[in-house]
Amino acid sequence: MAQLRLEHVDKIYDNKVQAVFDFNLDVKDGELIVLVGPSGCGKSTTLRMIAGLEDISSGHLYLDGRDITQTPAKDRDMAMVFQNYALYGHMTVYENMAFSLTLRRENPNVIHKKVLAAAEILDLTSQLNKKPSQLSGGQRQRVAMGRSIVRNPKVFLFDEPLSNLDAKLRGATRREILLLHKRLGATMLYVTHDQTEALTLADRIVCMSMGHVQQVGTPLELYDTPANLFVASFIGLPPMNFFDVRVAEDTLSAGDFSVPLTAEQSALLAGYRGREITLGVRPEDITEGGPLALRVLTNENLGMSTLVHGHLGKSRITAKLRGWKSFRENDTVPISFQKMHFFDKETTNAIREEARQ
Amino acid sequence: MTAENKQLRLDRMRFIKNKLPANLALLAILFDVLYFVSVYRSDVRDYYYTILIGASILYNLVFMLACFLSSEGIKNYKGRYALLLLALGAGQFVRIFILPARAHGTVLKKVGTVMADGQYRYVVTCLVASGICCLAAAIVGGVRSSQLRRYQAAMEAGK
Repeated sequence: MAQLRLEHVDKIYDNKVQAVFDFNLDVKDGELIVLVGPSGCGKSTTLRMIAGLEDISSGHLYLDGRDITQTPAKDRDMAMVFQNYALYGHMTVYENMAFSLTLRRENPNVIHKKVLAAAEILDLTSQLNKKPSQLSGGQRQRVAMGRSIVRNPKVFLFDEPLSNLDAKLRGATRREILLLHKRLGATMLYVTHDQTEALTLADRIVCMSMGHVQQVGTPLELYDTPANLFVASFIGLPPMNFFDVRVAEDTLSAGDFSVPLTAEQSALLAGYRGREITLGVRPEDITEGGPLALRVLTNENLGMSTLVHGHLGKSRITAKLRGWKSFRENDTVPISFQKMHFFDKETTNAIREEARQ
Repeated sequence: MTAENKQLRLDRMRFIKNKLPANLALLAILFDVLYFVSVYRSDVRDYYYTILIGASILYNLVFMLACFLSSEGIKNYKGRYALLLLALGAGQFVRIFILPARAHGTVLKKVGTVMADGQYRYVVTCLVASGICCLAAAIVGGVRSSQLRRYQAAMEAGK
């Protein structure tokens, strides 16, 4: 059992720079939480505070109901996997994995069993006698994970573990982490700036910006119902298209194009009539055929789909259309929006049914 | 030791270095250094300036090199280095009777006793300690190497 709770956690450095603002999170036992956000948003700082590598300026951290805010890192029973692996170059894989247990003076036979079990899980059995320099990046990262597994910690903390790997290896190691989580059923916190990692790995995602939590939810919730403009722009690849539009009775008008609204959407935006809002449309929610005219600038064929970059009126737009397309510059493609997201221009929050009521 | 623990100890040897005999071999080098530092700094004038001291210096160099190589070899469970360590250990005992014993029993007109009782006891202790370390390293290293070899052979045979 390992439940983690962060209550009103702040991080203020000595130079008065505040890196994390009022961070609240409940992590359930066995959950894989991904902290995602751009560089400098406070996600690694939050992870380091959980690990005990940074002091918590204010607020509380609970592990299984016990306040561990002031507990030293070594007594927190958490294991951290770093981006740069942090392996000892002069030790073999076996020795690296056994090192923390050796320091604790555990029985060598017990250590041996744990190391072999972890190596089996991570498919490292044949590499145990090698030095880290003889391993690939992915294997080194697996060794770093193995070192955590043998400790059998309550919580695993991953700080951008895949950032040093090439794209192919990143994908493979990501799947291994997912399998590892399923196999161990352990509570894990994972920091990344890569939204693909976040969407594929997480049970829940914590999206952060400028030290503030923007939204906490399942990957689908963040993708389908982003809480604000930041989440909408950060989650999804290619990113969401945004247009400044004025709300009319049954249309949204951008000056040089207008989009019809359904009755439901009209009702949702009733309070905004005559005002400007931000319309968001994901590239994959744009389909070929419809009342809008996309003027093509260029297109990228991805095999199953084609990314079409162009203009809708004066606004830039990217559409992800099904199939292999070969448009030329200045071709006009009729399109329509299958799903739209509306954001308040002043607050940048999403306009939703519950907000309206 | 239970059968399971014995099995685990053997299996562990596949992944950990044979550190005890390797360190014993290094300790043997240390005792040898203490021995020759004591012998060579003695001011006994003409007695040491013989072919014997030249041979002693050469042997010390060979001993240290061979002992270090054996240490590295035995660390990786290479059994043949145990034989070399056995020879080196025996050699340390033989050396007691070549230089220290002869110097201890010699009285020169100019300097009197070449090696006093205190120094003699000291250098003999160093050589004995060095020899014991070599022999212990050879025995422990040899036994472990053969255990591992048999264990791996059994594994390969699928037992």
